[in-house]
Amino acid sequence: MRQMIIDELTQAMQELTRGFAHILPRIIVLVIIAFAGWVVAYLLKMFLRSILRLIKFDKLSENAGASQLLTKAALPSATELLSRFMFWMAWLGFILLGVSVLGILGLQDEIARFFLFLPRLFVALFILFFGLLAASFFSRAALLAAVNANLRSPRLLSVSIRTIIIVFVLSMFFEELGIAEQTVLVAFGTAFGAVMLGLAIAFGTGGKDLAQQFLEKRFSVGKKDEGKEDELSPL
Amino acid sequence: MAEVKVAEESVLTDDFLRQLINVGEVDILVGVPTHNNAKTIGAIAETIQAGILTFFPRERAAIINVDGGSRDGTPELVASAAIDDARPNAKMYTLRTFHSISTQYASSPARGTALHTIMAAAELLRAKACAVISPESTQITTDWLATLLRPVYTADFDLVLPTYSRHRFDGILLTNLLYPMTRALYGLKIREPFALDYAFSGRLGSQFLTQNAWHEETAQAGSETQLTLTAIAGEYRICQSFLGTKERAERHSADLVPAMRQTVGALFSSLETNFSLWSARTGSQPIPTTGDERKFSLEPLRINRKRLREMFSTGVAELESIFQSILSPATLAELQGIARTEDVPFRYSAELWVKTIYEFAAAYHKSVISRDHIIQALAPLFRGRALTFLAENINGSADDVENNIESLCLEFERTKPYLLEIWKQ
Amino acid sequence: MPLKQEVPWYKLAVIYQAHVRTFYDSNGDGVGDFQGLDQKLDYLKELGIDTIWLMPFFPSPLRDDGYDISDYYSVHSSYGTLEDFRTFLKSAHARQIRVIIEMVLNHTSDQHPWFQQSRSSQDNPRRDWYVWSDTDTGYSQTRIIFLDTELSNWAWDPISKSYYWHRFFSHQPDLNYDNPAVREEMWNVMKFWLEMGVDAFRLDAVPYLVEREGTNCENLPETHGIIKELRRKLDEQFPGKMLLAEANQWPVDLRPYFADGDEFHMAFHFPLMPRMFMGVKLEDRKPITEILQQTPEIPPSCQWCLFLRNHDELTLEMLTTVERSYMNDTYARDMDMRLNLGIRRRLAPLLDNDRRRIELMHGILMSLPGTPNIYYGDEIGMGDNIKLGDRNGVRTPMQWSGGWNGGFSAAEPEKLYAPLIQDPVYGYPAVNVVSQKKTEHSLLNWIARIIAVRKTTSVFGAGSIEFLYPANHRILAYVRQLENETILVVNNLSNAAQAVELDLRRYKGNILIEMFGKNIFPRVGDLPYLLTLGPYQFYWFRLRRI
Repeated sequence: MRQMIIDELTQAMQELTRGFAHILPRIIVLVIIAFAGWVVAYLLKMFLRSILRLIKFDKLSENAGASQLLTKAALPSATELLSRFMFWMAWLGFILLGVSVLGILGLQDEIARFFLFLPRLFVALFILFFGLLAASFFSRAALLAAVNANLRSPRLLSVSIRTIIIVFVLSMFFEELGIAEQTVLVAFGTAFGAVMLGLAIAFGTGGKDLAQQFLEKRFSVGKKDEGKEDELSPL
Repeated sequence: MAEVKVAEESVLTDDFLRQLINVGEVDILVGVPTHNNAKTIGAIAETIQAGILTFFPRERAAIINVDGGSRDGTPELVASAAIDDARPNAKMYTLRTFHSISTQYASSPARGTALHTIMAAAELLRAKACAVISPESTQITTDWLATLLRPVYTADFDLVLPTYSRHRFDGILLTNLLYPMTRALYGLKIREPFALDYAFSGRLGSQFLTQNAWHEETAQAGSETQLTLTAIAGEYRICQSFLGTKERAERHSADLVPAMRQTVGALFSSLETNFSLWSARTGSQPIPTTGDERKFSLEPLRINRKRLREMFSTGVAELESIFQSILSPATLAELQGIARTEDVPFRYSAELWVKTIYEFAAAYHKSVISRDHIIQALAPLFRGRALTFLAENINGSADDVENNIESLCLEFERTKPYLLEIWKQ
Repeated sequence: MPLKQEVPWYKLAVIYQAHVRTFYDSNGDGVGDFQGLDQKLDYLKELGIDTIWLMPFFPSPLRDDGYDISDYYSVHSSYGTLEDFRTFLKSAHARQIRVIIEMVLNHTSDQHPWFQQSRSSQDNPRRDWYVWSDTDTGYSQTRIIFLDTELSNWAWDPISKSYYWHRFFSHQPDLNYDNPAVREEMWNVMKFWLEMGVDAFRLDAVPYLVEREGTNCENLPETHGIIKELRRKLDEQFPGKMLLAEANQWPVDLRPYFADGDEFHMAFHFPLMPRMFMGVKLEDRKPITEILQQTPEIPPSCQWCLFLRNHDELTLEMLTTVERSYMNDTYARDMDMRLNLGIRRRLAPLLDNDRRRIELMHGILMSLPGTPNIYYGDEIGMGDNIKLGDRNGVRTPMQWSGGWNGGFSAAEPEKLYAPLIQDPVYGYPAVNVVSQKKTEHSLLNWIARIIAVRKTTSVFGAGSIEFLYPANHRILAYVRQLENETILVVNNLSNAAQAVELDLRRYKGNILIEMFGKNIFPRVGDLPYLLTLGPYQFYWFRLRRI
């Protein structure tokens, strides 16, 4: 009996040891890969940062007003943010690679799916980022144009444009990620269509005089308004 | 350096170069940039030709027209001002052949490209004096050629800018922003820093060509500004000549923003590249002025002041979020204050205006938002200032108007340290 | 190549203008003479000259360099005898050199026996031979030609106590051509010389022959009538002889002197000459082409006589005020150089002694349509002496050598009719025939060369002209054609190298052969023909289709 227990224990120990021996090198490999990954990720971060600096990415995002958003959210500058994101992504990727080496079944599939998911995540974030930029830029442009053209309710116009663009961008974002694709598509389509239809009706019935004036001003040839007043010329 | 050379090469088409070979060396060159100006260009080309023949009958002269792709026969009209033996003209007698040639832009149509082409031609033809005449200057007389060119050709000046007699309310952007600010920052009392008709020496032209990279920004607007600034920076001799009365142009209020883009935008961006030049100067110097005294005309005008007031108030209200990125809180509060008051007469004081402009300039420098948007945001504020200027000068004499402008200029000069302060923050 | 049509000799001639007084002194009296001129005919032959035009050599008090004549039937004693002249004429003809002499029809010297008789009394038979009046108010619209010396066209005669008409100096009274006796006598004079063998007459001052009240007394129909009459008699009795008109007028006013080929054979193209100088200074062909555009067609038997300089001042009469002031400011800054609306300088000094410019001007002279005229001394680039008064600065002795009196005369230097040019640049030690003959590339040899090249073809003298108008206005280019010979001439009027594209589409397929070196140049294709020229350079191309 004692001998059986000792034998079992020994066998168990041996299995454990075998298990260790089996897994230890892989853990070492994992550590090596992780370390290598850290180095590579760091280099990539540096590389990306210098490229972004070269193309003056910070300036670009400043121009589009993104820097302001980031500052408000107490985030570092766009270049820095992107570089760090790249670093973490790269390192995470390497670590996961290392983990896959461990050979734990089931995990490997998940890891593979994660890697497949990454590019789409990048694209989606990209769309979101620039979409937000575009929204803020165009809404501001519309605001200024409306104010300078002395239109009524410039802010309404500005906010509408911003909303439309953001909605559009968000649906693109979700579609790219593959989250509730169909739902989002249909919802967006319906909403967008409804808004457009509404605007058309409103414009057509309520705004036809305005439309007429607008067209006349743009396309009439040589017709001067018999100004009861004089115009100022700035230069 | 290599970039500049490529830009120079592409500005002259092969055909134009061939024409330049035929013109050969000239003493005087007159450049005319055009785009669909068939209505006015014929008379202008004739006047230029007559002016050259009257005042410079022995000199070798040529008209160079740089056209932005007109479809209305503008280049042909310019070419008809040529005088040569292949087309004998019994009416016009001249000692020499008078060339009048035309070229299209080699690259994108922009006024800066036109000036670049004219300068390249002037350099290749070794012109001693060049004048640039705008195709919209319908009030041109033959005397203009003498007034603009003689200081360069005989008196050795490098840049001749025009001055005009105007209506007191004509060119408020000029009198309330461009002139005072240019004067305060660059230290010279140049009345028309954004002239469309001016003259420069071959020396200055060559200098300008070699040292300026022709970026998109420069090409789109403000190459004349850059020319003036190159002259100031290089301590070239600048003078002003009186050209006559400037007719009030038929303008629409919608033209304000494009005008501001070209002028204010150019001025602000010039502050970037020329920081060392303007930061060191204090006060302002007069520059030699020839010709008659400029004076303001005092005809009554009916301006819709209510609309100006409205646009100002609306602007201040609706653009608040934008102003928050541009203006200091104190300035913004003041502006909101005067926008709100209904009973007290509206007054956009000189001090406040100067602060506004300087803060805008600093914001432009830092690109807090898109630069074009910064310029657009200034438009409603300008309207407010225009309103105050109207009110202050509606009953005054011409001298009063001049004095008011002078005091505004001095305010710009006094407040310059403030700009330097916020510039660096 | 023989031409289908016979070309008159004067169209192919190259004329050399000389004054017998200035050329060569054979007897040591300080004045050139006919025996001397005879001895120098070989020099002219070698140069390529085939016609010599002699300045007036008739007896004269010489107050207007021989244009004031006191005897139409003899030779001034300083220059020799009538027999000397006959010998000279024979020698010239033996060398195939024709002789043109001056015939001053308009006026005589006041020393002429005719005038002496005419003024002696109001009843003298020769009274009517001159134009007399009791007042000096007649013909008031007439301009004064010698502005620097004369105040009026009428002069007071103390002997007959009346006024006589003179278009030139007051000592040159005008003959009265309304008098048939005058007309007959002048024809007799011409006949005398024609019978001796003279080949042509240069008729001086023809526009002024007849006066009529209410006109400017120039170019009147009556004057033309007289000339037609002279020409008719000449053609009848002396075929093959030539009449050359001296009339300083606009081309359009010169045209009537050709009439229908029944007046003058040749006339000087005065307005072209200053414009050639102007074109070279302006570096612009416009003055030259414009005057030729305004030059009317002349009858096929007629010919223009072209020249760069002559014994008179370079006249600026036929220019506008702007042009005249430009010419004065550029060619005659020194007021001493100016005389009577002209510039009294020789060719070489006018062109700053610039060899290239001198060559260019000769190139244009020899290639434009007309008969070229060379003023003596210009073939070696002689200078002038403006201090000699009137126009004598351009009439100094011919410079033959660097030796005694420049080889002109064995006399003492003080005896010479005029002092030699002595300055270091143009003086006779530097500028003379002997040294230029020895130097291969001297101006003299170059001019002999260009005359030789010109003579290889009749196109220059007798062909048509068509101007090309290249966009480069510094290039004067034209095509000369005669029957099936075509020559392209391209001249660079500027001081700097030039590139020019010529539209030669009409001559597509032709090979260009440069006429001096006879080298071939590229064939004319579809594209504009590109030529580059050095400063003041010119090309003569023969167009050849092979």
